[in-house]
Amino acid sequence: MASIPYDLGGRSVRFTSNALSSGGVFFRALRRNRAGLIGFIGLMIYAVWILIAPRLIPFDDNVRLDQIASPPGSRLMLVTRADDAARYTTLDDLQGRTVGVLGNTSGEAMVEPYEEQGAFTVETERFSNGRGIPDLLEMLAEGEVDAIILFSDSVKEYLTSNTDAGQNEQFANLTVANAALGPPYLLGTDTQGRDIFSHIIHGGTTLIATALAAGLMSTLIAVMLGSLAALLGGVVDNALTAFANLVLTIPSFPLLVVLASLIRLDNPLLLALLIAALSWPVLMRAVRSQVLSLRERDYVEAAFALDLGLRHIVLREILPNMMSFVAINFIFAVTKAMYDQVGLIFLGMVPINDYTWGVMLYFGRSRGTLFSPDSASMVLSPVLAIAMFQVSLVLFARSLEEMFDPRLRTAKSPGT
Amino acid sequence: MATESPAVPSGPAAPSFPIARHAFRRFYTNYTARTVLQAIVTIWAVITFTFFLIRLMPGNPVEVYVDFLVNQQNMTYDEAYSRAASQFRFDPNVSLVTQYVEYMGQLLRGDLGLSITSSGTRVIDQIARFLPWTIFSVGLGLLISFTLGVILGTIMAYKRNTAIDHALSFLASVLSAVPNYIWGLFIILVLGVQLNLFSVGGLRGNYDPSLQPGFTLEFIGSVLKHAFLPVLIYVIGSIGGWMLNMRNSTVSTLGEDYVNVARARGLTSSRILLAYVGRNAALPMFTLLAINIGFIIGGSVIIEELFVYKGIGSFLFWSITQRDYTSMQGVFLIITISVVVSNLLADLLYSRLDPRVRVSGGK
Repeated sequence: MASIPYDLGGRSVRFTSNALSSGGVFFRALRRNRAGLIGFIGLMIYAVWILIAPRLIPFDDNVRLDQIASPPGSRLMLVTRADDAARYTTLDDLQGRTVGVLGNTSGEAMVEPYEEQGAFTVETERFSNGRGIPDLLEMLAEGEVDAIILFSDSVKEYLTSNTDAGQNEQFANLTVANAALGPPYLLGTDTQGRDIFSHIIHGGTTLIATALAAGLMSTLIAVMLGSLAALLGGVVDNALTAFANLVLTIPSFPLLVVLASLIRLDNPLLLALLIAALSWPVLMRAVRSQVLSLRERDYVEAAFALDLGLRHIVLREILPNMMSFVAINFIFAVTKAMYDQVGLIFLGMVPINDYTWGVMLYFGRSRGTLFSPDSASMVLSPVLAIAMFQVSLVLFARSLEEMFDPRLRTAKSPGT
Repeated sequence: MATESPAVPSGPAAPSFPIARHAFRRFYTNYTARTVLQAIVTIWAVITFTFFLIRLMPGNPVEVYVDFLVNQQNMTYDEAYSRAASQFRFDPNVSLVTQYVEYMGQLLRGDLGLSITSSGTRVIDQIARFLPWTIFSVGLGLLISFTLGVILGTIMAYKRNTAIDHALSFLASVLSAVPNYIWGLFIILVLGVQLNLFSVGGLRGNYDPSLQPGFTLEFIGSVLKHAFLPVLIYVIGSIGGWMLNMRNSTVSTLGEDYVNVARARGLTSSRILLAYVGRNAALPMFTLLAINIGFIIGGSVIIEELFVYKGIGSFLFWSITQRDYTSMQGVFLIITISVVVSNLLADLLYSRLDPRVRVSGGK
């Protein structure tokens, strides 16, 4: 959990904003810090990933019966007569033919789009009294349909363990094929046969944008309230600190779950605002103690003496001198926002408007692909995408921390 | 929490009650009294806040049940409503303020009320049923990760800027960066489903339901086996933070003059480690430990849902989906009290461990 607050309170942060702006120093420092470099490269990859890749690779929303990588036992089985086995190997081969399916099953719903597109005619046999499969097989054997599409292994069992001698003879020339048909996909397919790779490419944009927005808002609130509390002092300080402590006391994630069912979070910005509203206090307290120590500096006292105004003092004198501190904590706020956001989506508390990595996790769990070896990609791909994003952020932030905090970087062991 | 803030707010100018004001000020400047008072006020504020928040949620329990009856059992709305109202001890037509006053009165008598949706069950019994599992799993996880993290952090600080330090820092960053439920999914997928090291389905629940609860070896073994994955996830999710914080804390302690003096006096390095460096470096860890208890109980919602572990987190999630106001309220109260109390304990513990705080606090 990246939620352990950073206690840099009271420490002096000397060279900051000019180091951030002058790229040369920054990159030279980064080259020395291998973990930071990995993080930086990772973030660059993600920038390309969410900004450019979605424009190049279209989102795949075509349901493909023959590409389903769902739990074994529910993938497509194509039953044909032995003489046709070579002719009908893919769904495309069934163009213009009649296909038998079991009615009242999820398979029927999946076949529907194909029939609507006019790919083939569907003959439905009602799944009743356990007669669905034998009836379908009889239809096939008698030539009423050209092939049967099923989504379960039961047809295989029926063909091998059937005790009715007459039927066995009738069905002897049927073959069952369940090889994954068609061209392979880089990351496999989901429960509807759609390309997971395209979902991974498209699934990060909203998530990352929301996390950035939430982190930014949370940081802004924290910096504003923290500087106000430290500079104004007195009643304002006491009230703001007490408020921060109160918000800190309520466990934010359970509260988020409650709020998510209270407010319809169909707008990502609203979700970001909600996350920010609950996550600012830790940083606010850190900012407050930073500002308290910066306030004692001569140049800030000079600014006060010159009566330059609170706005000027905060924006021009104090903020630039804790910019690195704020930047680092902004990154940690983004990781926290990602945690909250994906957690909410995973629990199914956010309306699904957008097919994000979080939604993939949610479907992966609710549709059971999490527990089957053949469809691991649907959960594993977003898991890795989220994990690598978080790791890049944290490695980058920690290297920034080391760069800007001389005590962490150069503390040499005295003596030995 | 209240370790700083030397500026005690001066009460409103009320010259007519100088004695009362004086008494209040003396009470307020007493450190322990003030801390306890703040804790009580915090708990009250959270109860009030969550009370109104929860009841503002759309869809009260009666409506949820009426919907169910109308859609599933083809009742008319009126029939369903009267049935639901009689079944649930909850009347949505009573005003919020009345409900609030009634609830606070109950709370003062130590009564958390009855569960709305499971009629006849007291909320306190529900909490007593689920909370121990969460305390057990979260507590065990926290204990392991804290101990390991502090040890590893100290090693990192002693070997700072070596390959060991860099490798462990990297590991700690990666561990703490990835959300704990993502680790959970990863472990289920890779260790459970792909490598088949454990049966995912068999580890659901808190123990093997075929066993009789009791102090038998078999039962305890089953409890540990079922808690293994959640505990592992709590350890993975929080150990990185402990390592890095302990490392940084130890590094700055190692630079202190008293450590140099101890070295100059020729004390053994183990004595320096235990009596000088370790003790001082570990101090801030205790405050973090207290803060983390709250975070981890909050985080247990997802972990318990994921592993189907019947603790307070999954109970809270269930009561949120069922709109069981009293249960939700009860769980929030328990979580808040645990956070406030652990913060309080951290303060007191800190002042016991660190004489400097004790001296300045006693002024």
